[in-house]
Amino acid sequence: MERRTFLQAAAAAPLAFATEPHEDLPKYRVVTHFQPSAQPGMPGPYSGKVARVHADKAIDENSEKVDVPTIREMMSQGIRALTGDSDARDSWARFFTSSDVVGIKVNCSGAPGIMSTPEVVAEIVRNLSVVGVKPDQIWIYERFQNQVDSVHYDRYVPAGVHIWTAEKSRGSILGYDPKTYVEVNFFGEEDTRSNLTKLVSERFTKIINVPNMKDHGAAGVTGCLKNIAYGDFSNVARSHAGFKTNTYSFVGTLASVEPLRSRTVLAIMDGLRGVWHGGPFSPSRKFRFYPKQMMFGTDPVAVDRLMLDVIDDKRKAEHATSVWDRSMSHIKGGRGYDENPSVDRFVREPGHIEYASRLGLGVYDIKKIQVRKIEI
Amino acid sequence: MLSIFCAALLPWLFWDQGPATANAVKQAGIERLYVPADQVSDWKSAAFAAQPFVMEQFTRIPVLGIAHQVDTAGATSAPWVIGNGWRFERDRSGKYYYNVPWHKATLAAAEAYTYGVEAVVHADARDLATFGRMLAFLRSIDRPAMPVLANIGIMDDGSAQTGEVLNLLARRNLLFQVVRTPDPKYDLNVQIGTKEYPKSAAANPAAFAVLVRQKLGDEKRLLRVYGTDVVIGRLTGDERNARLHLINYGGSKVEGMRVRVRGDYAHGSVAAFGTGNATLTDYSAANGATEFTLPEMDVYAVIDLQK
Repeated sequence: MERRTFLQAAAAAPLAFATEPHEDLPKYRVVTHFQPSAQPGMPGPYSGKVARVHADKAIDENSEKVDVPTIREMMSQGIRALTGDSDARDSWARFFTSSDVVGIKVNCSGAPGIMSTPEVVAEIVRNLSVVGVKPDQIWIYERFQNQVDSVHYDRYVPAGVHIWTAEKSRGSILGYDPKTYVEVNFFGEEDTRSNLTKLVSERFTKIINVPNMKDHGAAGVTGCLKNIAYGDFSNVARSHAGFKTNTYSFVGTLASVEPLRSRTVLAIMDGLRGVWHGGPFSPSRKFRFYPKQMMFGTDPVAVDRLMLDVIDDKRKAEHATSVWDRSMSHIKGGRGYDENPSVDRFVREPGHIEYASRLGLGVYDIKKIQVRKIEI
Repeated sequence: MLSIFCAALLPWLFWDQGPATANAVKQAGIERLYVPADQVSDWKSAAFAAQPFVMEQFTRIPVLGIAHQVDTAGATSAPWVIGNGWRFERDRSGKYYYNVPWHKATLAAAEAYTYGVEAVVHADARDLATFGRMLAFLRSIDRPAMPVLANIGIMDDGSAQTGEVLNLLARRNLLFQVVRTPDPKYDLNVQIGTKEYPKSAAANPAAFAVLVRQKLGDEKRLLRVYGTDVVIGRLTGDERNARLHLINYGGSKVEGMRVRVRGDYAHGSVAAFGTGNATLTDYSAANGATEFTLPEMDVYAVIDLQK
């Protein structure tokens, strides 16, 4: 059976894609009653611009202890470099007001080895407070309870800040909006819907995306786009089967769904730690490294484009296969991927970042991305 | 007469624990049962409607539930559901015997009731009380049966191969009825061995079920279930009403499932075994389909829909 004949409804992807290398793009049906805002958060007001802050003191490579004053300085300089303001308060006030309900989309899939660093998240919360967002208007959120439990964000943020997960038990759909979803049939699976996290559609007015810099066995790398896409929808693991993954088109498609696209107004990539192989997980330190940087932007494509090089350069330095390598010779099932950086589980799809740019989510061309580099 | 008719559809208990347990059986609310032939008179003396159990009169059916096939590569991690609905659709006049381990008696009772077949459940003694509660629940929801609603008419040659196709269709909630000849009331009529559905295709029943799904199209499907891989439904209805039976084979509660039934049903209500005040949430009926969420489901729920 041809999968494409099996699929139904309208395609979300532009028709021009049909003749390009990924000819077998699935047919997506996006169901939402939300309209985009006048200026959607992604790519937002700073399309194609990224502020990149590096600080050698940000984290100790041996103890993995984070230096809080340095984080505070990185955050201040990074947000100001993005907006051009001299006072960080003015920068934050461009994005948030005291009436906002703000979701902070953390990434805990690699926890407790790597995650949106609690000290970074705490500094975000502090800055929100400075512009008048009260603790009970702030929600740190993720999909899976067991992953978040291992991080203990509650120890770092003021009382009243919510820490919430969509799936208290794995597979539960109760934390998702039944009326906002992407319907697609990848491999003949029976449950063809991926629903948006309920808080995104029902409660948040703004979202801050706080991903890590990580290799990803299916998507090639995982950063802003994948964190906001796969991290906000149910039933997404179905996009991989055998050696094939549909992350190429699914990541951008999910990230484009309203109101997620409009409400995600700021990306702060936490690159204190990174994972150069085995991601998104990080059960041991074997494949962890320390870029000691953060990136600030509203354009998730531009930030991810820079992160992509960080991961691939590190892999090259470690003599691992490139994330762009599509040969089948090093792809194996089983657990080899966990231990061997020359083994992959899927044909990786780092092209998902470029695909997202074609959906209007940001600037992919590295020559067109303006990077403001700051060294602390 | 109606109550007698309805009661006939309820599954029976096969109880071989001896007449000394009569009080416990009575406390479970069970008044009729199959017992070993040599105990019939004792049970009758204790005011039970007892009948002798003769295995030869029944078809023994497999233990139901799920099996995780972790070593089998596939496009889905969905567990393998072991259900008997397809078997009952094939022969609704049969008499069936469940010999089930602890915790499975209510599932067996719900399954037999859903498909309206005569069945006897040999329950573990520890399940007596819950089995009695399930019978009481089934009595409370019982009402005259409506016609079965299905998308697919399938001509059954009685072969094991076709049986496995029926099994796979049932697992995917591709609602079918066994028919003798093609019937235009179905969206799709399937006869294995024809050019459209060659026997070679049916050699892989899973792929065949996918083929049938493809030909039918998901939009036409009378029933879709989202959020779980272990719930199987059966739909009955007439011009104004529909009744959806949902059976959870997973062995633990389902936390949230979304259901789509084709047709605009303005009103819906649920009765769920083991779930106190079950409700349907996020209910909508528009554009030819009705959708709702069942926030929690134990082993069995029945949803009544009205236009």
